Amino acid sequence: MSGAAIRCEGLGKRFDDTWVLRDVDLDVYRGEVLGLIGPGGHGKSVLLKCLAGLLSPDAGRVLVDGEDLARLGPLGLARVREQYGYVFQNYALFDFMSVRDNVAFPLRQQAHLPPAEIDARVAARLADVGLAHALDLLPRELSGGMKKRVGLARATVGDPAILLYDDPSAGLDPVTSSKIFQLIARMHRPAAATVVVSHDIDRMRSVCSRYVMLEHGHVVFDGPEAALADAPESVRAFFFGAAHKHLEGR
Amino acid sequence: MNAALERGFRAVGAPLVAVGSHAFGIYSVFAQVVMALLKGAVRWREVVRQSYLIGNRSLFFITVTLGFLGLISVYQVASQIQRILPDFTMMGPAFIQLMWREFAPTITGLMIATRVGSGIAAEIGSMVVTEQVDALRMCNADPVRYLIVPRTIASTVMVMMLTIYAVFIATIAGMVLADVVFNVSPSTFVSLSMVSGQDVVLGLVKALSFGFWIPIVAGQAGLSASGGSAGVGWATTRAVVASSFAVILLDFIISGIGYTVFDL
Repeated sequence: MSGAAIRCEGLGKRFDDTWVLRDVDLDVYRGEVLGLIGPGGHGKSVLLKCLAGLLSPDAGRVLVDGEDLARLGPLGLARVREQYGYVFQNYALFDFMSVRDNVAFPLRQQAHLPPAEIDARVAARLADVGLAHALDLLPRELSGGMKKRVGLARATVGDPAILLYDDPSAGLDPVTSSKIFQLIARMHRPAAATVVVSHDIDRMRSVCSRYVMLEHGHVVFDGPEAALADAPESVRAFFFGAAHKHLEGR
Repeated sequence: MNAALERGFRAVGAPLVAVGSHAFGIYSVFAQVVMALLKGAVRWREVVRQSYLIGNRSLFFITVTLGFLGLISVYQVASQIQRILPDFTMMGPAFIQLMWREFAPTITGLMIATRVGSGIAAEIGSMVVTEQVDALRMCNADPVRYLIVPRTIASTVMVMMLTIYAVFIATIAGMVLADVVFNVSPSTFVSLSMVSGQDVVLGLVKALSFGFWIPIVAGQAGLSASGGSAGVGWATTRAVVASSFAVILLDFIISGIGYTVFDL
């Protein structure tokens, strides 16, 4: 594992008078898959958006390869974002574009590749996620699991150095959730820093090498699963309780 | 006492802050649109598609609205003329001048503000709440440049064209009514004796401004949507109110400048 791709220092974020994140210190290293866990509504998705520069911190800072996102101008932010892939909780597929155009979009915007190469990479990535037949479909013609897979294909088609997954199995049945996590494991590149937000801890255990738990916007645990023995009781109860619940749900 | 004072300040200050931040948001979108236009960063294929949606799809709407406006206006004016001085020779020229200077651009602008402004706000607002706008940002596509600039160019061109069409439709409707009800011949009614080039320029400048500002105001409302379908609903309402208000305000400003500075 090499140096931190993303570093949060004293990160705070508030909406109106409510602080959603408080004093969050966090490093995400290249090569690791970090699981971001915690109860619903405790700041996980907000933290992910801060890591991507989609939300500006109200306190502290987010550094990507040493560069403070808040201090970057539009061109600097565009340069940094070329490293990112982001799978959104609600798919966020462009509903006016076909599956092909959705997946090709980041390459057309960023990579300056010849159209033939873009087409080839899009077809290959859609084949990787089992959607080679869906190239010309519109998002409204897809099931929830297919939309997730298209979102995953769009996020990974440019082989990004930083991959952020916001609840990739939300709203999916257990079989489809397992397939999504298998794809996440398969898409992970050794040089990439990956963050997965999910409540599906049982399936996260197959891909994540380290966990950070947020509670009321604070980091209450940061370490590998092996370190849970020394974690506070509430963390262990959440971790193993959530895993147990998912096992029961299968 | 202090608490009551604080509540009072909050009650007065909160709406002022909201209006201020809304105005700054519109200015910010305006500045980004201008920068994109200066850089020539325009998706022309999308401009053509939006021109069709804004222009062609509004034809029926404008035909009905301006047709009825022409009928009602001519009926009201002709009824008064008939009672006072039954000489209709100046009615048509004055009507056409009024259409060029005021009614055609303003009514067309208001119609586009409601039909197109609400559509832009709803479309962009729903993209915001479904995170599609965030997805655009993550793909390095600037939402203003990608979504609002093509609509602004299309709307600017199409509102000007629809204004010309609106004058034509209102004149035809007025001419038919004047002929059928008041026995005014079409050749008497359709006279451009009172219409100068300045009237046409003033009308087209108004149309250009309305067409330019409606997508900016509506797009900003859409981009500031939050909180699901209720947020999209609020954004749409705000877009219609704000863009209609912008049309009325711009009409007043341009007319004022036209009268006082350029003697139009």
